[in-house]
Amino acid sequence: MNSATQARKGLSRKAKENLIAYSFIAPNFIGFSLFTLVPLIFALVLSVLSWDGSNPIEFVGFDNFVRMFKDKTFWQALQNTLLYTAGVVPMTMAAALGLALLLNQKLRGRNFFRTVAFFPYVASLVAVAAVWSFLFSPTRGPVNQVLHMITNLPVSKLPGWATDKNWAIPTVIFFSIWKTMGYYMVIYLAGLQNVNPELYESASLDGAGAINRFRYITIPQLAPTTFFVLMILIINSFKVYDIFITIFAGADNVLSGTTRVLVYQIYNAAFRSLNYGYASAIALVLFLIVLIITIIQFKGEKKFGE
Amino acid sequence: MSKSKKAAVRIILYLLLLILALVMLTPFAWMLSASLKLSKDVFLFPIQWIPENPRWSNYSDIWSKIPLGIFIANTAKLTVIITLLQLFTSSFAAYAFAKLRFKGRDLLFMGYIATIAVPWQAYMVPQFIIMSRLHLNNTHTAIILLQAFSAFGVFMMRQFYQSIPDELCEAARIDGMSEYGIYAKIMLPLSKPALSTITIFTFVAVWNDFLGPLIYLTKTELKTIQIGLRMFISQYSAEYGLIMSGSVIALIPVLIVFLSLQKYFVEGVASSGLKG
Amino acid sequence: MNKPFLRSLAIIVCLALLSACAGSSPPAANATQAPASQVEATVAPVADPTAAPTVEPTPEAPADNSVSLKWALWDKELTIYYQALLDAYKAVKPDVTIELLDLGSADYNTVLTTQLQGGDDIDIICIKDIPGYANLVKQNFLEPLNSYISSNNVDTSLFGGTVEQLTVNNDVYTLPFRSDFWIIYYNKDLFDKAGVAYPANDLTLDQYDALARQVTFGEGPEKVFGAHYHTWRSAVQLFGVLDGLHTIVDGSYDFLKPIYERVLKEQDDGIVQSYAELKTTGTHYSAAFFNNQIAMMNMGSWFIATQIAKVESGESFSTNWGMAKYPHPDGVPAGTTLGTITGISVSSHSTKKDEAFDFVNFVSGPEGAVVIASTGTIPAIKNDDVVAAIASLPGYPTDEGSKEALKTVKTVLEMPLHDKSADIEIALNEEHDAIMTYSITVDEGIKNMNERVAEILAN
Repeated sequence: MNSATQARKGLSRKAKENLIAYSFIAPNFIGFSLFTLVPLIFALVLSVLSWDGSNPIEFVGFDNFVRMFKDKTFWQALQNTLLYTAGVVPMTMAAALGLALLLNQKLRGRNFFRTVAFFPYVASLVAVAAVWSFLFSPTRGPVNQVLHMITNLPVSKLPGWATDKNWAIPTVIFFSIWKTMGYYMVIYLAGLQNVNPELYESASLDGAGAINRFRYITIPQLAPTTFFVLMILIINSFKVYDIFITIFAGADNVLSGTTRVLVYQIYNAAFRSLNYGYASAIALVLFLIVLIITIIQFKGEKKFGE
Repeated sequence: MSKSKKAAVRIILYLLLLILALVMLTPFAWMLSASLKLSKDVFLFPIQWIPENPRWSNYSDIWSKIPLGIFIANTAKLTVIITLLQLFTSSFAAYAFAKLRFKGRDLLFMGYIATIAVPWQAYMVPQFIIMSRLHLNNTHTAIILLQAFSAFGVFMMRQFYQSIPDELCEAARIDGMSEYGIYAKIMLPLSKPALSTITIFTFVAVWNDFLGPLIYLTKTELKTIQIGLRMFISQYSAEYGLIMSGSVIALIPVLIVFLSLQKYFVEGVASSGLKG
Repeated sequence: MNKPFLRSLAIIVCLALLSACAGSSPPAANATQAPASQVEATVAPVADPTAAPTVEPTPEAPADNSVSLKWALWDKELTIYYQALLDAYKAVKPDVTIELLDLGSADYNTVLTTQLQGGDDIDIICIKDIPGYANLVKQNFLEPLNSYISSNNVDTSLFGGTVEQLTVNNDVYTLPFRSDFWIIYYNKDLFDKAGVAYPANDLTLDQYDALARQVTFGEGPEKVFGAHYHTWRSAVQLFGVLDGLHTIVDGSYDFLKPIYERVLKEQDDGIVQSYAELKTTGTHYSAAFFNNQIAMMNMGSWFIATQIAKVESGESFSTNWGMAKYPHPDGVPAGTTLGTITGISVSSHSTKKDEAFDFVNFVSGPEGAVVIASTGTIPAIKNDDVVAAIASLPGYPTDEGSKEALKTVKTVLEMPLHDKSADIEIALNEEHDAIMTYSITVDEGIKNMNERVAEILAN
């Protein structure tokens, strides 16, 4: 027995297990911490500093937060982002799960339909937005023409969709569902492949109906996937920016009123006003909201799993 | 259910799918039709789905107006390298998070997820400064290092591993297999649907990435497709016909990858492993 | 793992290697496909110092005389004058090589600041707009030019007062090389169809409004709109500053009320397309003008070169067109208009500031102005010769009125230089958007502008 093995034996079983685990994480974690975590922590520290990217950094305490809480546009952006998230998350989840269940059946042309559902996600945002603005044009779009035929209301009484402050958020929610449900469908499809078909067979033998099979087999078996989809959907909804800019921004590239979102505020603060401290303060709020949701969800998942 | 009733359900199902397909395909139809138009007609109302005088020359012009060949080669290189690294590092790290118990696991994991929430705009500048200090500005390495180690991939793989029964690992451990062996011989073969998903997502994300390359790659010979296409948008005008023909070309590899990975979305992979 | 999966992995690896090779094989192979990417003006024979003596035996000029400069700009491929300027400079200074760094137009300020913060070795910087300029000055990324200006005997009076407008704390950090101003473009065929006389070179805002109403006709997709406001704030709001009584950084915006009321009324009456629909459909003003959908349009002089080129290529159906002076408030002389400046600066981090300034001086000076004017763009040094040169370009409307339209008496900067111009611009742009989409009333919008800008100015 040489000294090396002795040394290894010297390690407790626990320490050895830890080491093995860390060795699994290391390749990702080293790269991740160096190129994402370090700059990210630096950015969050900036929230108590004042920095324009060039001149010396100054400590300003909670000034950035005080300013943020007094800033009407911040509250507007937070409110819009929350509204958007509240609409997008459940509906996208339902649509994606429905699509996945449907396209997990043995169907003719299944691959074709799966690809088609994924399509709006990969198509250029400009193209998707152009089609959308055509379909939902208040005066000339097919959607309002159909509504006009059904309700017989004049066009001016029909929703103005993206051009109307009251309809802006619902419009962008529908747009987002349409564009991204194929993406979440793919995740659900991957998750569904892990459901043991024997469970269904034995349940069928026991006389369980389709609804019960869904409730007692599919849903619990899909729990980890659902947790993932839920978290990613929430995070992506909080970080929404591109979709709003593409649909609502004119040539000056600004958002206002009901179309303002949090990341837009961050973008403005960082790159238009060169106020990195203020941008970081908003980012920190975003981070904390998601962190709290994560902790709640994570605890829930653990309970659910036991 | 009677046979005729079953047939009726099927027909309704297919009808529904066809309508869905139609709605989902309109952006693509729009892209195709826009790619054959003059810029001024692209956003013309009402949409002219079949252009009167299709400009096939858009498809040849984009190759001569920008070095599209180089851009495609650059994008392909970045996409493939990043996807492979991402597949390896994510699936590897996720194994520890899903199947091993170690100190600080839950804390580390929650930290991982929460970092996804910080928008890139917030830490883009510090990140760029680090890369510049390492003299990696204007190299493909910068983009690779930026995107190859994502928390997203780890999160996704962990969730997938969790639905694979722990009994499989336990049995292997009793047989004397090392953790690395379990990862390579048991988990990986069972996670083809998840690996395929990561491949698709990473491929799409890197292929369509715009902001990263925009900031890091300012030399023409290093640029990628999405920056190339933006070259047609200038301060006071935009060549949308050309942009769309370029976008159609750029879409083809993505669709090929998606279609070719479809065969790994096969039901009951995990249970078949349980039996074997 | 089964075979097919491994096989596809193997294919992906091969693809990676292949494309890695393709990606790293540099210019030689690519040069033929990408002539445009090689704009880099290799002026001096920078190659091989050992070969230099045989080419240039004089000991006074060794090979290390050559200087290479990096110039940050946007739209390299689509702007004609960059190459023309490089060619002209090469004739004067054959030893200087200038590398063009294209940072794109849409995100130019963002990418530029990031590059400078990362410590990029940029020597020469193009200035895209005033808020961007103010920010770069605050960040100390620009070299103050006063000492260079005096030691090189630069005559700043040639710029007609713009250098003074660009001065911050007694120092100027950029020299303008391009200066655009706003005019009216009109479609003669549509005026003929409506039976209305062409716009004169002296229109008040009320006359412009009345004229727009006269030339609006037709229904549905064939409808012709009398005027057109692009989705920029400047296209609408800045009619209010032409009288010189107010500026956009004052902090008080009550004077904008009549401006907004007039334009919103036009929108309500269907004289112009609605702002909200224009922005959600992504309509570009040039498309509307090319497709004979609008009779008049207020737009910057940059559109002249585009319109001429697109008539020639057949893309613009508005082949019979003209220009008129910008509409103005009562009591203000015709020829008063809005202007916007593009500047060129020396980076404060440059190690070759003298060489960089020499190029800056060339581009912004009289020689550069001639080159820029020859490409159909209006240089910052704008005298009668320059105006005559542009008005005699092939494709320029031949009527006297259109030639006269280029003569300005006073140009008000779209955004005057101010320490806080970036923040003020955001606030104004956002409130403008809210007013134009009817999200808030004109009064609410103006109240918000007053409050928000007061807040910005107080900090």
